[in-house]
Amino acid sequence: MNLAHIDELDAIELEDGFVWRPVRRHFGIQAFGTNAYAPGASGRIVEEHTEQTLGHEEIYLVLRGRVRFTVDGNDHELGPGQLVFVRDPSLRRGAVALTDDAAVLAVGGKPGEAHAVSAWEYAFLATPHMRAGRYDEARRHLHEGLEAKPGSAAILYNLACTEALAGESDKALDLLNEAVAADERFREYAQTDEDFASIRDDPRFPR
Amino acid sequence: MSEGYTILSLDEVEAVSHRGSNLIPVRHTLGFRPAGVNAWIADAGGQLIPPHEEDSGNEELYVVVRGRATFTVGEEEADAPAGTLVFLKAGVHRTSVAAEDGTIVFVAGGSAGEAFNAGGWDSFAVAEGHRQAGRLDEGRAIMAELIAEKPDYWATHYNAGCWEALAGNSDAAFEHLRRAKELDAEGHSTEYFQGDSDLDPLRDDPRFQEFLA
Repeated sequence: MNLAHIDELDAIELEDGFVWRPVRRHFGIQAFGTNAYAPGASGRIVEEHTEQTLGHEEIYLVLRGRVRFTVDGNDHELGPGQLVFVRDPSLRRGAVALTDDAAVLAVGGKPGEAHAVSAWEYAFLATPHMRAGRYDEARRHLHEGLEAKPGSAAILYNLACTEALAGESDKALDLLNEAVAADERFREYAQTDEDFASIRDDPRFPR
Repeated sequence: MSEGYTILSLDEVEAVSHRGSNLIPVRHTLGFRPAGVNAWIADAGGQLIPPHEEDSGNEELYVVVRGRATFTVGEEEADAPAGTLVFLKAGVHRTSVAAEDGTIVFVAGGSAGEAFNAGGWDSFAVAEGHRQAGRLDEGRAIMAELIAEKPDYWATHYNAGCWEALAGNSDAAFEHLRRAKELDAEGHSTEYFQGDSDLDPLRDDPRFQEFLA
């Protein structure tokens, strides 16, 4: 039986201090997006974000512990068996764990469309490796992402960060310019991103 | 709370009976559109997931939210405490039974490569719950919404016919069933007309003969 306990899945601690357990990826689910989250160093359990870009409807179901969700500026303290359904993709949502054992399951997708694996999954997989200087591991995840989602601006941008940190300035500049060409928003992000400190003074850096 | 989001406690939603199990109609209650999402609740020894197989392409993720369940998939049995995830593809027979009181299993499902399209079986179960509780207006309103959402889908009209038959309203039942038969170009309904016990209240009516032809 294809069965796992949530605590047995990979635990990937991300920069905001929350732990991502990649449920969809673990099981190879294609029909919808689903992931689980646990609190990391900061106590955050769900990244503060909107779904504006992807247009996803999302359900966050508390599986264990107590969690304080903030949706559209309103706080809601939820326990096991309680969920928040965010219908409007533009609403800002996030959550902090009130107990260390907290676990949240998310299910989401874009109504009326077949599910497509999100680019952020590959960026999330690569980030801890990138921060720890394991650039080949980070590259492996991001290249896998580009195969699944050719031309994805978010993945190109993360790959540019990785190459900049790895000291591969030419590659980093090419990738960053590709990312900006694919999605203009990355031009703005790049201006203040510390990962690009080594290439920011290069004339090829997008301004 | 704004219009853009909803908070829900699974155990505060009225569970409805469906094929020997107690369904918490999450999708119907929320209007969630990207996937089929529902939950099942039972006390120790009670059936959680009705024994079934999924149609080709359907993937389902079961999540034990509270309590403890025993899953049976094909010949295999597994103990599943809260926090357990079980992922199953189409074509495997599955069921589960609660091992503790108040056990809740949440399920999300859909088809790979296809936009989710709710068949409405869960809404029908809610309408049935209203009928059994004598809330005919509420049940009928759900059937009317389902028809409005998919006016050309034979099965919705068929289900509305069943619902009216069980509610003792044979004129309305025959009207829905005629529409179902007209729309069912491929003849899927034939076997249901022959054997569905929901239609038993109509079988002695002479008008029923036209559906057996």
